[in-house]
Amino acid sequence: MMEANARIMTMPRQIQFIRRTAAVLLACNLIPGLLSGAATVAIAEERDDPALQSNDAQAEAELRADAERTFKKKVEPFVKKYCISCHGPRPEAGINLQSALQSPGATSSFLHWKKAVANVKLHDMPPDDADTIPTDDERRQFIEWISKLKYLAPRDPGPFVIRRLSKVEYRNTLHDLYGVAPSIADSLPEEVVGEGYLNSISPLQSELFLDIANKVIDQVVAPEGQPPTEVQKRLFGESPPRDVDLREAARNVARSLARDAYRRPPTEAELDVLVGIFDLGRENKLSYTASLSLMWKAILVSPQFLFITPAGEVDSKDSIVPLDDYQLASRLSYLLWSAPPDAELSGLADKGELRKPEVLRAQAERLLIHPRARALFDGFGAQWLGVNGLERQTFDPDVFPQMTPVLRKAMVEEARLFFESIVRENQPVFRFVDSDYTFLNEPLAAIYGLEQSVQGPTMRRVKLENPNRGGILGMPATLATTSFPNRTSPVKRGVWVLEQILGERVPPPPPNVPELEEQEQKNLEGLTLRQRTELHQSEPTCANCHRVLDPIGFGLENFDAIGRWREKDDVGVKIDAAGKLPNGESFSTPAELKRLLAERKADLARNLTERLMAYALGRQLEGYDEIVIDQLIVKIAPDDYRMRTMILEVITSYLFTHRKVKG
Amino acid sequence: MNLHSPINRRTMLKGAGVSLALPLLESVGWTAGVNPAKPPVRLGFMYMPHGVIMDEFWPESPETYHTSPPPAIESLRPILDQCLIMKGISGVPIAPFGGAPHALELSTWLTATLPDADTRSRINIAISADQIMANYVGAHTLLPSLELATMPQTWKENQAGLHEAYYSHCSYRSPTQPVPAEIDPRNVLNRLFGKQGQAGRVTTANPLDRQMLDRVLGGARDLRRTLARTDQQKLDEYLDSVRSVERRIAAIETRQKEAALEKAGVRTSKRDTNDSPPIEVRIPEGDKRSEYMQVMCDLNVLAFQTDTTRVCTYIGSTPNGVSYPELGFTDKHHSQTHHENREEMVRKVAAITKFNIDQFAYMVNKMANLREGDGTLLDNCIMMWGSGLEDGNKHTRENLPFIIAGTGGGTINSGRFLPDVQGNQGDLLTTLLACAGVPVDRPLGIATKQITQIFADV
Repeated sequence: MMEANARIMTMPRQIQFIRRTAAVLLACNLIPGLLSGAATVAIAEERDDPALQSNDAQAEAELRADAERTFKKKVEPFVKKYCISCHGPRPEAGINLQSALQSPGATSSFLHWKKAVANVKLHDMPPDDADTIPTDDERRQFIEWISKLKYLAPRDPGPFVIRRLSKVEYRNTLHDLYGVAPSIADSLPEEVVGEGYLNSISPLQSELFLDIANKVIDQVVAPEGQPPTEVQKRLFGESPPRDVDLREAARNVARSLARDAYRRPPTEAELDVLVGIFDLGRENKLSYTASLSLMWKAILVSPQFLFITPAGEVDSKDSIVPLDDYQLASRLSYLLWSAPPDAELSGLADKGELRKPEVLRAQAERLLIHPRARALFDGFGAQWLGVNGLERQTFDPDVFPQMTPVLRKAMVEEARLFFESIVRENQPVFRFVDSDYTFLNEPLAAIYGLEQSVQGPTMRRVKLENPNRGGILGMPATLATTSFPNRTSPVKRGVWVLEQILGERVPPPPPNVPELEEQEQKNLEGLTLRQRTELHQSEPTCANCHRVLDPIGFGLENFDAIGRWREKDDVGVKIDAAGKLPNGESFSTPAELKRLLAERKADLARNLTERLMAYALGRQLEGYDEIVIDQLIVKIAPDDYRMRTMILEVITSYLFTHRKVKG
Repeated sequence: MNLHSPINRRTMLKGAGVSLALPLLESVGWTAGVNPAKPPVRLGFMYMPHGVIMDEFWPESPETYHTSPPPAIESLRPILDQCLIMKGISGVPIAPFGGAPHALELSTWLTATLPDADTRSRINIAISADQIMANYVGAHTLLPSLELATMPQTWKENQAGLHEAYYSHCSYRSPTQPVPAEIDPRNVLNRLFGKQGQAGRVTTANPLDRQMLDRVLGGARDLRRTLARTDQQKLDEYLDSVRSVERRIAAIETRQKEAALEKAGVRTSKRDTNDSPPIEVRIPEGDKRSEYMQVMCDLNVLAFQTDTTRVCTYIGSTPNGVSYPELGFTDKHHSQTHHENREEMVRKVAAITKFNIDQFAYMVNKMANLREGDGTLLDNCIMMWGSGLEDGNKHTRENLPFIIAGTGGGTINSGRFLPDVQGNQGDLLTTLLACAGVPVDRPLGIATKQITQIFADV
């Protein structure tokens, strides 16, 4: 960590300043009419650029003091003038800025500020009929002030609470260690990992862990009187000769079983417990092997196996500690492979080498280029793109008879192979949006109109000549995911682009109004989808957000609900994909929209970094995390925000390698 | 749709790929209680999201409740005299989480408590009513409680910064510990009655497993001492769940002993010889929603009838996009609820509501036809059906819809519509726990009182 940060410190001040300014400029892109004010921001930033003194405690303290002053002297008057009459003690929409002003840096206030900023940014708040409306300049300042919120947070990597293996990790672990089929864990309840991972354990799960442990043993250990299986020999060793102390032999078996299963060396006390269970078997007239099986079963239902636990006792002095090497090995391996550390990683943990940043980085790189890193797509990429539900998503079979399981699978495979190629080739993040190749097989090529050139069921890399294709905006999997069963949804696509690709926070529709797509349905026959959807923009409650969302969605209307190109819409009217981004840049085809979005390199990279960090930590980001992300973005900017570089920075970050144990 | 043939009792579980030793089932009965001669009270909950079409749900008056019940509850007609409907039960005000009506309708349903606002990105709410009951009576039965659902609880949607699991969980064993529900009927059967292992070996409870777990728990307590405080809390959840497995094994052992005694001609069960035999369960093979919902109902009935558990929570559907093709349309439930009084959408929501209540009616009608003790199984149950919103169109929560079937062993004055009870969700849950014999030392969530109108004059 120290080394990494030293590098930031020595980076030419000039470059950092440019990057920083660029980020601010890009962040303003969404806000109509704000670009003119950006120069002022840049000057303010130069005097007092926050990202520069990243790791210096004194600098952090100064920034904190500055942020406190800003909230007291600037944010408070703004809020009191424009917001407090509705968002005070009886808060509308649950946004209470009165309490947020009282303790601006508190975790509980964080979300109130985030929502406030999102609404002020989109001109959604204050409402158009309010007595006083802030000028564009005031809006911009408010956004800038609130961006200092993060400096109120003390240095904090967050807790890394002992974490239960997810279902996927659990079944992979059984498979890796004991060679059983991953389906052995199918009976466990389904769960999704990542930000907001449900790290709890219930009686149902414990019953199933015992049940599955029995199955594993049944499959691996040969019945009495039959020769041992290969795995059994590997786990239990050869039968000890008669003159050997069986307890001693069992202890050795326990030591090696537990080293793998606990992902760290067991303590002597832990071995005592296990040998006690071996004894229990012997006392009950079980054979040596059956007693070992009972002991092994105990390992498989132990918290040390089911949870990622620290190797040693926490030194009670410090409230923040680095992860020990074994924890780090597990955290890394489960992040990238959803599987336990392999021999090389375990060996480095044993030697205490893994905590060295260069070693950690090299290991992360090794894991990332390995085929098993597909787990990162399955756990993270698919969720990010929203394609993880595509195989179960409902499509109207009368309208889209092509949406067979084979085609759906090919669509998700395309997204996966594309994601993996960007990681493996360390391409810049913006290539997700703008690239000139993809992966197709024959059924999927038909969606692209390329069935003449791509034949057979095997997915292969294909160069694309059509500039409307290439990248996740023109990809059938994402286009289908953001559609209704029988037609496209420009609104959903607009939200998807803003939230998933650009990382904007789109305020939810006001409560108690019908979802907009449902307003589209009735009494509007004869209107094109665009005409119907544009009705949103004549509704005052909807207009402010929808004039941002809808044009983006309509820019993709040339793609139907399963991603085929079309010139005319469902009612036979020629598609008009022209529109403007809020900053005034106009586009008339998906290709042009794609190009405009691809230029937002910093926004794209920051969004993906934040999402990956939240996934890696298994929690939402807050407070201090933002400071770390800022530093990380500064680091990856000079080399065009490359994907694998970014992942490596996440893995070697302060947040990933430390944990709070107290307070 | 590949329809299955009915399976008789002796082979009833074979079709499901599982089997159980019938003598075991013959002997099951309530094994403990305050008064062993009296069947215990069982408490069941069944949930539907998004509220109802009020005109179709609320009876016009206490009189018309019997003479012309509203369309939504038509299927309860045979047992209206064993059902109680109350108007005037308000939900938890969700003010600080205005943007999260659907994340909260389910998670507040049995807790009557709002998530903790300061730690909203983690699960931090309150123990739910079903788990309070499970803590009190769970030790008497093989399973402390049973949680069922019909969809995986994996919905990811972040509303108002709340943890996603609030969307799909209503049972909480502790403020930080949501209880996942079982969605596969085969797995439920395995849980309730064990199963036949490979090659015809019947897996029996292994007493060694219980002793093994006991030692694992000892080791876990050693580990606990070395952990940071937050880690300790996580480990406590583990300890709790494993203790529950130990109890389950102990209960299976008891069953096996009783089964052996029964076989030898010694009667051990407290069940009345007049009691109905355990019901048949058929695992449907197609994907018809009604059949899926009904087999979960059957499992609830069977679990109660065999006293395998006394608490069951069944999330009939979750707030994330269930559709009902059997009703002739494929729209998702939620998409129709913001109907703005448009006729077709109102009609669809009414149909979905009736469909859900029909499944509840299927379950409680069945219970009403099973003999138990001096009466029926339903007599000894409290079965609550309900939703977490009153009106899905406007997200109102002033008059949450509830139907309470059964008289809880004679504690509930049933067969009525009470048009104006004035209480809240917490009051209702507190009252039902009291009827189930659970000593409630403090009111649940927002409760301030018990709803005394419910009580039968004893």
